[in-house]
Amino acid sequence: MAGYLVRRILGALLVMWAVATLVFFMMRAVPGDPLAAMMFDSGDPAAAEDLRKALGMDVPLVEQYARWLWQLLHGNFGTSIYGSQAPVRQLLAEALPRTLSIAGLSFVVACIIAVPAGIVAAMRKNSPADNALTLVAFLGLSMPDFWFAILLIILFAANLQWLPAIGYSPLSEGFWPWFSHLIMPAIAAGTTFAAIIARMIRSSMIEVLKTDYLRTARSKGLLTWRILLVHALPNALIPVVTVMGIALALMLAGTVVVENVFAIKGLGRTLIEGILNRDYPVVQGAILAVSAIFIGSNLVVDLLYTVIDPRIRYS
Amino acid sequence: MTDHHDRSAPPEVAAMQAAWDDAHDFDPRDPLVGLSRAEMSGPQISRRGVLRLMAAAGTLTAAHLLPAGPARAQGKAGGTLKCGWAGVGQITTLDPARMNQVLQFQITSNVLSGLTHINADLIAEADLARDWELSADGTEYTFNLREGVTFHNGEPFTADDVLFTYERSKNPAVSIHSRALGNVKGIEKLGPHKVRFKLAGPQASFLVKTTERSSGRVLTILNKAAIDKLGEAAHGMMPVGTGPFRITQHTLGQSVVLEKFDRYYDPERPKLDRVQIQPILDAEPLAAAIEAGDIQLIGGGQIAPELIDRLVANKDLVVTAQASPGFESIWLNPHRDPFKVSSFDKPIAELMKEKGFMVRLAIAKALDRELFIKQAEFGRGTPAHGSINPAMAFYFDKELAKTSLQRFDLAEAKKLMAAAGYPDGKGFPRLKVLLTPPMRRQVEVVRAILKRNLGIEMEPVVKDIPVALDEFSTMEWDMVRIGSGGDYDPDDAIVDWMQTSSLFNGQKRDKAKYPFGYFSDKEADALIEQQRVEGNLEKRRDLVRKADRITSDKVASAFLYHPATILIHRKSVNFPDVSRIPALVDLDRTTLA
Amino acid sequence: MDQSLTVPPSAAHPAAIADDLPPPARQRWLRPFKTDRKAQFGVVVLVLLLVCAVFGPMLSPYDPTETSFDLTLSPPSLSHPLGVDDLGRDVLSRLIVGAQVSIVVGLSTVAISLVIGVTLGLLAGYFGGWIDFVVMRYIDLQWAFPNFIIAVYMVAVFGTGLWNVIIAVSLAYLDDFARIARGMVLTIKQEQYIDAARTVGCSHWRILLRHVLPNAGAPLIVQATVSVSYAILAEAGLSFLGLGVDADTPTWGLILAEGRTFISRAWWLGVFPGLFIMLTVLSINFVGDALRDALDVKETG
Repeated sequence: MAGYLVRRILGALLVMWAVATLVFFMMRAVPGDPLAAMMFDSGDPAAAEDLRKALGMDVPLVEQYARWLWQLLHGNFGTSIYGSQAPVRQLLAEALPRTLSIAGLSFVVACIIAVPAGIVAAMRKNSPADNALTLVAFLGLSMPDFWFAILLIILFAANLQWLPAIGYSPLSEGFWPWFSHLIMPAIAAGTTFAAIIARMIRSSMIEVLKTDYLRTARSKGLLTWRILLVHALPNALIPVVTVMGIALALMLAGTVVVENVFAIKGLGRTLIEGILNRDYPVVQGAILAVSAIFIGSNLVVDLLYTVIDPRIRYS
Repeated sequence: MTDHHDRSAPPEVAAMQAAWDDAHDFDPRDPLVGLSRAEMSGPQISRRGVLRLMAAAGTLTAAHLLPAGPARAQGKAGGTLKCGWAGVGQITTLDPARMNQVLQFQITSNVLSGLTHINADLIAEADLARDWELSADGTEYTFNLREGVTFHNGEPFTADDVLFTYERSKNPAVSIHSRALGNVKGIEKLGPHKVRFKLAGPQASFLVKTTERSSGRVLTILNKAAIDKLGEAAHGMMPVGTGPFRITQHTLGQSVVLEKFDRYYDPERPKLDRVQIQPILDAEPLAAAIEAGDIQLIGGGQIAPELIDRLVANKDLVVTAQASPGFESIWLNPHRDPFKVSSFDKPIAELMKEKGFMVRLAIAKALDRELFIKQAEFGRGTPAHGSINPAMAFYFDKELAKTSLQRFDLAEAKKLMAAAGYPDGKGFPRLKVLLTPPMRRQVEVVRAILKRNLGIEMEPVVKDIPVALDEFSTMEWDMVRIGSGGDYDPDDAIVDWMQTSSLFNGQKRDKAKYPFGYFSDKEADALIEQQRVEGNLEKRRDLVRKADRITSDKVASAFLYHPATILIHRKSVNFPDVSRIPALVDLDRTTLA
Repeated sequence: MDQSLTVPPSAAHPAAIADDLPPPARQRWLRPFKTDRKAQFGVVVLVLLLVCAVFGPMLSPYDPTETSFDLTLSPPSLSHPLGVDDLGRDVLSRLIVGAQVSIVVGLSTVAISLVIGVTLGLLAGYFGGWIDFVVMRYIDLQWAFPNFIIAVYMVAVFGTGLWNVIIAVSLAYLDDFARIARGMVLTIKQEQYIDAARTVGCSHWRILLRHVLPNAGAPLIVQATVSVSYAILAEAGLSFLGLGVDADTPTWGLILAEGRTFISRAWWLGVFPGLFIMLTVLSINFVGDALRDALDVKETG
């Protein structure tokens, strides 16, 4: 077990390093000079050169890379070069709770829709109830999420005025301000994954229902909702756990568009704005954060899985 | 352009009539409009002087004669104002040396001060300067500084701060606006509250372009101790100034929080306790936020024009439009066919014989600007025929719309196209037009108009702003859709855009290949230089208009429109007229009902 | 925006769907379409869509680029059933032509990522060794980036425009195909008939193309079906961020992104393109689900 763990963590670190390297060089392949836009108004080429020097962007790329990697190993992500010059670490620290809040809540939303939908779909295949629930689960997956988000805003903020239209309020300022700002983003991002999770639950429920014990119960007409929820569901959820982990990680990325609509500066928007402004350190930092979450959750899920289901060997 | 409709009690009609009569009581042939040089010196150019100048320019309206100042204070002091800043995802910096967007100036104008500040008529008024004196030769400005002014960090404001700001702004490695100090030879401290600026030559725009606080001008006063203590980066996010509000929190991409500065030099201001500013990138959520009352006022960038009518219809909201200080153009590359013009330095009659010029003029003449404004901006804006905008009321030339060679005339445009060898657009190449993402809709309208009017096709190429700006300055393009904002003084338009050596005029071009950028005309260059140093406002105005006319007739660009500034707030917000400075959102007199 | 259904290689798990033994091939394909209402609905919508795409120019009542400024923002009427947009263009005509473009985007994206992804996956699975190592590390690497972020990045590199968007989205999603193909090859390689073919002296290419690929087909078909819907949604998301196709090519995503600010003023601009996208994606998913059931594809991709 320990050896397996060490190997997996080493492997994850290796991938992280590769990601970091790839992003470093690929970002610089993007056409567009971050300093050009900043210095456009000065009209002074010498000033742009000075700034380039001050930011250490005048040395060969390999040297820049080495410097950046060295800094990274010391936990220093550098500073934003476009405008703010804020430390990237601070930007990430601010963005992370926002994105995690959205992702966490949308996960809850997804489960609220998906678990009943999946169970009913497995129990009563092609019944009207199955069709209705599947439709609901799939609607989220089928709507472009920015559109869905705008429809929500128009209904719940502009017309009904139940919820704030935009923005984020940290948890430290109270539960309701935090929660009310997140309801719509969570619905917009969460329904996307409801279909995926519902489909997983449905198929693994069908598997579980085929086990002798439940098949017997079913044939004798003894299959009650209690048996279903207490015995069948937990077993059915085992394979689903893996997908839920992945879905959570995917939701982090899925919040990109939603964050843009709701004016919440989370990881996704930090990343997009970084790419648009050619703000290299910010993009590098944000990508590392996103992929760390991806790789990390992947790892945790794998380990969790071996705990839940001992049949899986550490290979 | 201002359309305020909620005027309450009419002012004393007699006083208004008297002011009107006095303003017009001059000999129209007198270049100084009956004003003395003393009236042009500060604490502000006298009100009488301003009115006379406007009357002379024909821009004086009854609205200008309403009593100035926060006369109609409807709300009480106190409270929190929540604002949304349109079209922006994050306020990247608030350091005046680094800012280049109006939506940033709008915030710092509430936090930082300059020696002068423009008023709603774009006239410089005393701010941190108590008053000033101009030497007879027009090259020395001596400022008496306001005493008892305190920075947000508690430091007293003295002449040393002006010196520090000057040194900092002069350094091109620190300030992107350092060029604006090009005409300043030096600064001298005459006492703890007295400084003198020595200019290399007279500069008419000095008080509006150099010492003004708002639009990222070079002499927005900062405090050395504050920068040393916070460091450049942190200070750039939360600069320390002497303004009515101080920044207490700046969460990048989320909000900027301003709080009332208790020791502001004017105890009457500000009225609000707190202002919260949220950047909101997408248009629909912004509109929903003000409808729902999550925010009470919209500032920042341009609001999607299609949403404005909906907000106008909302009874809880007040929407006012005002001429915005800027111009928007379509630039035609004179180094490429079919717009090729080897030199603009010849009389119009001769230029008119060149095919490239015919095409340039044909495109400019085929631009149905009224239709464009109706279709693309839903009726808000003013047709442009030159770079001088209507917000600069005194300099703006209304006649240009009627007399410019660029004025809309479809028959003439078609004739020119035919003469250039492209009858009904036949054989005309499909040209690429470079634009930034926010311009997409506008360019679609321009395409449709030119296709219908001249039968020519354009292919839009959308590039992110950093890439587009870079490409624009290399002159490697057919057509570009770009424009200027925050032009409070004629220098911002003609010096920055229309001279051969202008800031934006093909700075990064291959100078061996292209002798000039998008435009170069010796006569215009000379006129622009003359107006820059002309101290007499009347004479300056004439020079500005002459230069504007040449750039218009010779099609430096196909001028499209002057945008409107739209201010939207809820009824509960009282935003007095005196604060309605074009393109700014000064909240020092704003109250909540 | 990122709706990958894929599970990373390490997290694959068994979960078959079919209740009984699989019936003969042709019946297997058709059976769910006979009973499953959702699948029937999907097929009908997709057939209509294909008709639109193929006969688009003939069906559309107006020239989709023709601007009539007098008609700007006219609501739906008999002459303009889905209304007129902000530049005076007929919305229905634009959506019909948009169907063509969106289908081109969807199909070419999937074709590109299918060909590249499957080639990589087949080579890795079949030959193993260093090829497998390299391909797998690449897939791991791509897995560490959310697909949609990759697409955004690629558009930043290539610039906007129809084909740039297609390339960007297909590169972003090709790892799904590679992973499935590799997994299938690893399973099929154990089968006796592959051994037999090898002993008979068949070349590697012949074995891969004639024996392995056809047997790996079912899950790939399912994945390809569903991927078309990702491509359509990804294109819409890119258009929303201003990173989509040029204004010249009216994809549904672009029409919707441009129409969204009119949604409260001229609802037909903000609602119809969204409905078209939603119905299409929904139908693709229903058909994909039915295929999955029919072909007995495990719920991993």
